[in-house]
Amino acid sequence: MASISIRNLVKRYGNFTVIPDLNLEIADHEFVVFVGPSGCGKSTLLRIIAGLEPISSGDLYIGDKRVNGVQAAQRDIAMVFQDYALYPHMKVYDNMSFALELRGVPKAEIDARVKRAAALLHIEPYLDRKPKELSGGQRQRVAMGRAIVRNPKAFLFDEPLSNLDAKLRGQVRAEIKALSQELKTTMVFVTHDQIEAMTMADRIVVLQSGTIQQYDTPETVYERPANQFVAGFIGSPAMNFFPVEWRQERAVLSQGGTAVALDGDAASRLRQAGNAVLGIRPEHFALAADADGIAINVRLVEPLGSDTLIHFDLAGVSAIARVDPSLRPKVGDRISLRPQPGKTHLFDAANGQVLR
Amino acid sequence: MTDAATTDHWIRRLNLVQLVLAGVLIMAPTVWMVLSSFKPSFEVTAYPPTLIFTPTLDNYVELTKTTPFLSYALNSLIVTVGSTALGLLFGIPAAFAVSWTRISWPAILTLAARMAPGTLFLLPWYVMFRQVGMIGSYTALILSHAVITLPIVIWVLLPSFDGIPRSVFEAAQVDGCSVTRILWRIALPLVASGVAVSAILAFVFSWNYFLFALVLSNGDTKTLIAAAFNFIGEGSTQWGALMAAATLIALPPLVLAALVQRWLVSGLTLGAVKG
Repeated sequence: MASISIRNLVKRYGNFTVIPDLNLEIADHEFVVFVGPSGCGKSTLLRIIAGLEPISSGDLYIGDKRVNGVQAAQRDIAMVFQDYALYPHMKVYDNMSFALELRGVPKAEIDARVKRAAALLHIEPYLDRKPKELSGGQRQRVAMGRAIVRNPKAFLFDEPLSNLDAKLRGQVRAEIKALSQELKTTMVFVTHDQIEAMTMADRIVVLQSGTIQQYDTPETVYERPANQFVAGFIGSPAMNFFPVEWRQERAVLSQGGTAVALDGDAASRLRQAGNAVLGIRPEHFALAADADGIAINVRLVEPLGSDTLIHFDLAGVSAIARVDPSLRPKVGDRISLRPQPGKTHLFDAANGQVLR
Repeated sequence: MTDAATTDHWIRRLNLVQLVLAGVLIMAPTVWMVLSSFKPSFEVTAYPPTLIFTPTLDNYVELTKTTPFLSYALNSLIVTVGSTALGLLFGIPAAFAVSWTRISWPAILTLAARMAPGTLFLLPWYVMFRQVGMIGSYTALILSHAVITLPIVIWVLLPSFDGIPRSVFEAAQVDGCSVTRILWRIALPLVASGVAVSAILAFVFSWNYFLFALVLSNGDTKTLIAAAFNFIGEGSTQWGALMAAATLIALPPLVLAALVQRWLVSGLTLGAVKG
């Protein structure tokens, strides 16, 4: 078990800079999720921690030890790969015992540790099988088993759920979270799926173009996004953005001039800025009386059972609101919506940073 | 029959004709060689060739009487097994290194060396081996035949190594393996059929190679194929004995190829399909 510290890290491939300058502190026992769109550098960062990619400049510490030039084999970390990367010619038992055997662990202890991990992951019946005889979910468990038998300083997960079907993904997600609470080891998990990030992480690192956009708890990242990118990336369906202005002592949508009811705090920030981008999550729209709401025409309805999504166009923006299913809206209905007080976000129109 | 069915029917017939033609073209010399080896000497060169004759083992008897056939066979075996082993010893790590580093020029270099005519090597080798007193030694023959076996091993194994997902090697690295250990514990077991195929091909090519043994061997180390050349004289050629020798020489590669035929094809395409 160990902390991970990344200081002024730069990663280049030839002339192409993937990570320009990154600083990150992951505490001991912490479950941190790297999330971001494809090509944001999250997998590269994980592979750098694993020792599978060299660093162009900067420092990487695992525990107190600087590991810049240390081979992956000597870092004492375990990794679960996206395609599981099981050894096809070895039985499940041998896949799990291989790393221990390399470290000269006595046979009896290897056996005990493999069986304990197999029990934890419910894969005891498959110990004598080869990976090709297993289903995707079982292989995924074996890959995790291979990692946990080792008691490493840290676990690294590189999108390990992306090859599973939706039902299994939810199940394994819960299992990994339970496992992290049981093992109490530092865990770094890479995903492009923000639901995985929100449900599993102690803290989330939101990455874009190799730069950390926000590093905080899931609740904070969701409730107080640092910028428009984070606000748009975290949350599903994504946050709606409308350009707004302060005109004649009130907030209006820049296109069309429709008045928007903002609470006092948001209104004063907009007054100060003059114009901004207003962010409202679909779930933060409320039905309003005609007088103080924004009238919209329902363009599309998506009933999800627990709630219903309404698609509509407003001020040149295609937007979504999440409403109570009992409302039973229909395409073409004209309804009135307003943002819930205290649930709006204002971002600088020029640089996307949140206006506080 | 519809038009499509008629076309299909003719294509099938044409395919059959092509196969028969190709078969005849490839097999005719072999059949002629084997039949001739059982013919009395005067019938071997008869024209038109006789198809009905009384088979005799005279050529084989003469072969064993007039030449130390078994000791030539042993020489061939020593040189072939030695050069195949040498090819595997250096070719397996070389192919793995090329696949691992993705630096392909060394592999291309060995292929270029293989494609160059043997005579290109012959003179420098002859001079070099003579300087160190190795002409006529098994070592000189084995080393020279490694030029044939090494590229075969590298180029048969390269796609096999390339076909292993990179993440499997990375998982082994994270598990604590050095690169050498990854080769022996992870990569090699996964390309076992490729190794077998490359070994067989290397064996066959080395066994059949004539030029180096002709120049670099002596009476004690002459290989079968070089020894068979002795039956071709300036005045007369002993066709019957030559055909008997050629039949016996061809036997080990043919038997090997027939035994592993299915494996051979799948091994050669191993790297092309990811599991």
